[in-house]
Amino acid sequence: WWYWLVLGFLLLLIVLFYFFTKRFA
Amino acid sequence: MNFSPLDWLVLVATLILIISWGIYKSKTSRNLSGYFLSDRQMPWWIILLSIMGTQASAVTFLTAPGQAYTDGMRFVQYYFGLPIAMVIVCATLVPIFHRLKVYTAYEYLEQRFDVRTRTFTSFLFLLSRGVSTGISVIAPSIVLHSLLGWNFYVTNIAMGGLLIIYTTTGGAKAVAYTQQIQFIIIYAAMFVACWYAIDMLPEGIGIRDALHISGKAGKLNVISSGVEDGSFNWKDKYNIWSGVIGGLFLSLSYFGTDQSQVGRYLTAKSEKESKLGLLMNGLVKVPLQFFILIIGVFIFSFYQFYKAPAHFNLAAEKQVLSGKYADDYRAASVRYDSVQATKRNTAVELAAALHSDDEAAIDRLRTELQQEEKNAQVQRTTIKDLVKKANPASDGNDTNYIFLRFVGDFLPKGIVGLIIAIIFLAAWGSIAAALNSLASCTMIDFHKKFSKKQLTEEEEYKWSKWYTVGWGLFCVFIAQFAYNLGNSLIEAVNILGSWFYGTILGVFLVAFFLKRIGAKAVFFGAVISELLVIAVYFADIVSFLWLNVIGAFGVIILSFIIQLFLPTKSPDIIAGADSKSI
Repeated sequence: WWYWLVLGFLLLLIVLFYFFTKRFA
Repeated sequence: MNFSPLDWLVLVATLILIISWGIYKSKTSRNLSGYFLSDRQMPWWIILLSIMGTQASAVTFLTAPGQAYTDGMRFVQYYFGLPIAMVIVCATLVPIFHRLKVYTAYEYLEQRFDVRTRTFTSFLFLLSRGVSTGISVIAPSIVLHSLLGWNFYVTNIAMGGLLIIYTTTGGAKAVAYTQQIQFIIIYAAMFVACWYAIDMLPEGIGIRDALHISGKAGKLNVISSGVEDGSFNWKDKYNIWSGVIGGLFLSLSYFGTDQSQVGRYLTAKSEKESKLGLLMNGLVKVPLQFFILIIGVFIFSFYQFYKAPAHFNLAAEKQVLSGKYADDYRAASVRYDSVQATKRNTAVELAAALHSDDEAAIDRLRTELQQEEKNAQVQRTTIKDLVKKANPASDGNDTNYIFLRFVGDFLPKGIVGLIIAIIFLAAWGSIAAALNSLASCTMIDFHKKFSKKQLTEEEEYKWSKWYTVGWGLFCVFIAQFAYNLGNSLIEAVNILGSWFYGTILGVFLVAFFLKRIGAKAVFFGAVISELLVIAVYFADIVSFLWLNVIGAFGVIILSFIIQLFLPTKSPDIIAGADSKSI
């Protein structure tokens, strides 16, 4: 027991959101 | 806002479909395991849809797009703690709940501590969830009452009452299967709304332009630090720290200790299916919430090119215009319209600059757009204040009305009916799960626990049905009654719920991680921690997400200290030690 997959995906989303925020600001 | 015969047809057909499907899926074995646990037969994907359907209420779909429109995307950070909570719940509580074959989360606390701890936490759950479920019926009913002119009390009965039919006949199984259909209809309808918002942008303005315009107006603030003027603002509601840490504790409380969620994943056919459902929720919840919020961003972009209402709540606007503040309101509306016209020109210029990659012009127009957006917000605040003056019982806020007003004004007939239907479906999904869990706690933690008479399986099944009906009627009654007492009471109830959440989580964390701490220490630790949470709330020094963190840590630290002063061989500790074999 996936746990690293869920946590890794969350980290990936936060990084993507950070660049998304920067890109359109 | 018109509601055409076609809209009525779509709305009524959708609601009948759900009720019929719920009744059709109502066949369960006539005992407590069948009624509350679906005989533990559910696969992981039903668990996933069920926990998502329970968490997303009507307000989720009403507020989120409006929140993105007014405050930007940063609300998505509120969900960052959820995936971490899913991992912790799967690694700790899920195996215990399955091994003990519990019906309610609070049964575990009796095995670990004593019957007093179990009864007390279950009672707090019944009190806070029972009242807050009733209150949750009000918000969507008020919006439909204001925008469509429907009778508030009749809407309440449809919003909070019709689902009692299938929730009572089919128990947890009917709740899960209706949530499955509801999920498909809700997200299909939200996708259609998003598609229309993008499709109606002016010729030559694409998704990229829309994102740039809303981003430069400050609406794509998906990640925010909470730091203002060089120091962290503890009262800032949504930033990455309150989201990851505060959101983690909120999600841990919700998924680990709130029976309305625990009752969903206890229906799984195995521990593995429970875990998969929860972990998949950890994977998809943040992207889905991002999708709902981005609809609000596209609606914001749309209104940069078309005239936005000064206030999105039609009924409130009419009320101001018929009172003594009518002239002030008209003057403020004219000022708002003129700010909007300026902003529209800037948006058109910005789109042209983006197409020609003119960096200097983009920088200049970004600054202009941000200043104009600030001016627009000032005018909207003035308008809200006038609405509040005209009706002191309201808070003047129109966030909940933005999405439906856009849908009603611009989307085609039939689609409007579908969007209104999903508000009902979202309400039903969360309320049905709440009623089922309220009935299970009443039956398992109180009736069966304290009844002197030995009940047969059939009698238990029938009592459970009556408790479901009873809680359903209680919630509708609360909704009808609370509306007359105004907004402040509704807010007070919501605040009351958040007071207990962290403390109950603290009790569960002590139960699992600190085996040396016994029942007496945790009970007094919880009481003192609760008083601390209430004191911090009234001191108004942190935003609400941090209250859960304080409550949970309060119980852990205080019960640890109290245990140091208790005799080491007290019966409490023996009970605690025994639970190691659980």
